[in-house]
Amino acid sequence: MNETFSTLVKELQAIVGERNATDDLAICTSYSRDQHWHFVPAKNPACIVRPGTKEEVRTVLMLANTHKIPVIPYSTGINVRGLTIPVHDGSILLDLSRMNRILEINPDMKTATVEPGVTFGMLQEQTRKYKLRPAFPDAPLTVSVLVNYYLRGIYQTSATDGHDHTISYEMILPNGETLKTGSRALSEMPYFRYGVGPDFAGMFCAHPGTCGVVTELTAKLYRLYDNRKEYFIGFDDVGTPTKFIYNLMNDELAASIRLVDNQSWLKGIFGTFDYPYEKLPKFVLCVLVEGVDGVFEAKDKLVRAYMKECGGQIQELPAEFASTFEHESLGGAEKSCMVFGIKGRGNYHCIGLYGPLTLAAKYYEVHEKTALEVGIPQDHVHFYIDPIYSFHGQLCYFELDIFYDGGDLKFGEKLRNYNEKQFHRLLELGIYGWFRPYAGIIEPTAERIGYLAEVWKKFLHVLDPNEIMNRGKLF
Amino acid sequence: MELEREEVLSAIHHCVKCKLCSIASFHPNEEWLPLCPSGEYYGYQAFYAPGKMEIFRAILEGEITEPSEGLLHSIYACTVCGACYEKCKQITSVELGAPDLFEAMRHEMASKGWILDVHTSIADKIEETKNAYGEKYEYNVNAETTDGDADVLYYIGCTARYRVPEIADAMLGIFDKLGLKYQVMGEEWCCGSVLFRTGQVEAARELVAHNIEEIKRSGAKTVVFTCPGCMKTFEKDYPDMGVELLHSTQFLTRQGNMNLKKEDLKAAYHDPCHLGRDLGIYEEPRAVLREVADIKEMKREREQAWCCGSGGGVKSAFDDFALWSATERLKEAKEAGAEALVSACPFCKRNLKEAAEKEELEVYDVVELVNRCLEG
Ligand SMILES: Cc1cc2nc3c(=O)[nH]c(=O)nc-3n(C[C@H](O)[C@H](O)[C@H](O)COP(=O)(O)OP(=O)(O)OC[C@H]3O[C@@H](n4cnc5c(N)ncnc54)[C@H](O)[C@@H]3O)c2cc1C
Ligand code: SF4
Ligand code: SF4
Repeated sequence: MNETFSTLVKELQAIVGERNATDDLAICTSYSRDQHWHFVPAKNPACIVRPGTKEEVRTVLMLANTHKIPVIPYSTGINVRGLTIPVHDGSILLDLSRMNRILEINPDMKTATVEPGVTFGMLQEQTRKYKLRPAFPDAPLTVSVLVNYYLRGIYQTSATDGHDHTISYEMILPNGETLKTGSRALSEMPYFRYGVGPDFAGMFCAHPGTCGVVTELTAKLYRLYDNRKEYFIGFDDVGTPTKFIYNLMNDELAASIRLVDNQSWLKGIFGTFDYPYEKLPKFVLCVLVEGVDGVFEAKDKLVRAYMKECGGQIQELPAEFASTFEHESLGGAEKSCMVFGIKGRGNYHCIGLYGPLTLAAKYYEVHEKTALEVGIPQDHVHFYIDPIYSFHGQLCYFELDIFYDGGDLKFGEKLRNYNEKQFHRLLELGIYGWFRPYAGIIEPTAERIGYLAEVWKKFLHVLDPNEIMNRGKLF
Repeated sequence: MELEREEVLSAIHHCVKCKLCSIASFHPNEEWLPLCPSGEYYGYQAFYAPGKMEIFRAILEGEITEPSEGLLHSIYACTVCGACYEKCKQITSVELGAPDLFEAMRHEMASKGWILDVHTSIADKIEETKNAYGEKYEYNVNAETTDGDADVLYYIGCTARYRVPEIADAMLGIFDKLGLKYQVMGEEWCCGSVLFRTGQVEAARELVAHNIEEIKRSGAKTVVFTCPGCMKTFEKDYPDMGVELLHSTQFLTRQGNMNLKKEDLKAAYHDPCHLGRDLGIYEEPRAVLREVADIKEMKREREQAWCCGSGGGVKSAFDDFALWSATERLKEAKEAGAEALVSACPFCKRNLKEAAEKEELEVYDVVELVNRCLEG
């Protein structure tokens, strides 16, 4: 480490305490890679800073801004897209995991206000006491709630939750100013998203890189119902179940609807590797119905009626599969990470995208085709559809998955070839958008969005003129 | 266990940084229960399993070439408790686990001389006195009650000889009260556990050779341990000697009805890492304890037990951290409604007992209670 930087670390230590800032090479190395390392190679931050309060965050940001030092906010670092791996030399990694307080659970308002280090597990532990839960991604429940919502995650686990769970938040900008969105800007009541003017909460989030550091966020909570029922229906192809999915979504009947192939996510949904999955039909639709007395029975009746004419085969499976599906869907995903174990020493690659249900079969077709072209065997090719409430545009999340041995460097090369082709193909075929804008996927996309890309750049420049907020991931 | 470089790298690449290994299984009780003592205490990613693996990768790939303070701290302030591995295994079905990796990493580091002074000084003490505490006196066993021809040999271990002799006393008391024949080694040397756990594998070779020789000479068919650390070392790091290795609790469950007088005591059982996760012995200690007390299970138990904080050379190097970890465990025992925390390992007992000075909780080894409840 050069001398200037050592002086800087001392200044940082003066802000956050000696124990909470370091430029030790080994400590920095521990932040150098994530699961996406076949695409975003290892790179060390120059130092790690672990603030404990908003004021410390502000002072660190202002210091970094003065010296034009890149800052990478990091809440739990499990983002699977290399988002916290530095682009530039000399970056400060701002590890926010010490800020892990649940500031409020408001059962009357059905909201929770959290700091960045609060994970889905931590939040669910508390909200369930009020028969409430957050909207869960199918990500390990060790990830940050605040970041997942700020990145505008995808919530496969419960279709009825819809897509956006952020109500308002507070963000500190590089110049030290605090931005509050929605009603939070006007009063002590952070419970309404659209306070004044445009939807600022939407504008500042879901960038590749960030605009500032979000220090607290108020999110929606959802009810937990006692009445629940699960169904598993097998299909031999992707096209046949789409009518059934449409009916379930159109009548708003099911809490969770997931079409998965029998060799991948199903293992996590059922919580075991130890079952002859190959004997099940190629695709399994997992459906969870819930609701208050009366409504539940009515929904369940309709689901069963649609099920009769859906063209699939109803599966009789061990009772514990249904209960794991329930826990994973409405209590936070844990076993879903079993997908990493599918190929022994596994890893998974996926292209996640939004598109209409009508294109489901085509997405699957192009997934298989490109994989085979680059030499990825058929048995590594997997697929996932998750319809999203509300169903305008027949909005679904699709995942084109490939499971592989994480240590196989040659396979990594194949995956990069796959991406190169597939990003373009999918854009040609037509998608609504990507799971998340990240390095690699965003460049071919930005080329297509015309003047919007220019405006986007200018917008970021206003907030972060010195380009310190994890820039380089996009512009 | 000697691991090849490629094998190690492949295992490291397998870690997807999901950090599920930092908490006990969330479902079905939906409680957030931390599992990794070092990560929980120190906070930086380097102190959790995924961070350590990254550091090991960087060492193997030549990115880390100096033993920085952070390197030594993060690698040696890990109790090598294996909780991360047990959790990861459930999720990803891995076969090559973190504890093996971390031991391989320590071996690699020690071979470069990247080691804590306090750990080399233990090696020096062992070299000089053949025990890990550098004690020059002998733990006294009443020669009259031992029998050089007995099939059973009790391997006492350094900690029970020099730091918590009440455990060795209790075990010997049990042999006597049950009228069982036993012998102890004429010259018992340290098993080498602390050297293996801190990467100083070469320094352990002489100890291994001596102990094997002594045991062979004794003619014993069964070696009984009150220390799971010693037993694990014999089991995993010693060549097969053709003798049966038994933990005290396994040995006691074989004794049939011992006429124990059950006490009116609510006891939480703490699974020692070496006994549980390393040797897979979970039931026997509970079976024995059930005979003498009412068991109150803690939330984190068996494969997902919270480590007492003293293993892997942590107690000698980072005592504040070791005691914090023990205090967490004591709090958990209290929450479970226990009046006593019972373990089956002298190392656990020592650390828990020290931490318990501030908490109102008794700490025992299971053999102490058995000895107390045996008709004399
Ligand atoms: C097996 C698996 C499955 C997954 N499935 C899903 C899924 O179904 N749906 C889904 O949505 N996600 C999914 N994910 C991804 C993951 O949940 C999210 O990306 C995650 O919530 C974000 O990661 P993190 O919370 O660890 O944030 P981090 O990795 O800490 O940060 C991610 C990004 O946010 C920035 N950032 C961090 N903190 C702040 C802050 N306080 N203010 C501003 N910017 C910040 C970082 O700089 C970085 O750019 C999955 C992950 C895994 C491992
Ligand atoms: S060691 Fe296993 S559980 Fe822990 S982060 Fe790595 S893959 Fe996940
Ligand atoms: S062995 Fe124990 S202390 Fe070490 S990283 Fe794993 S869980 Fe943490």
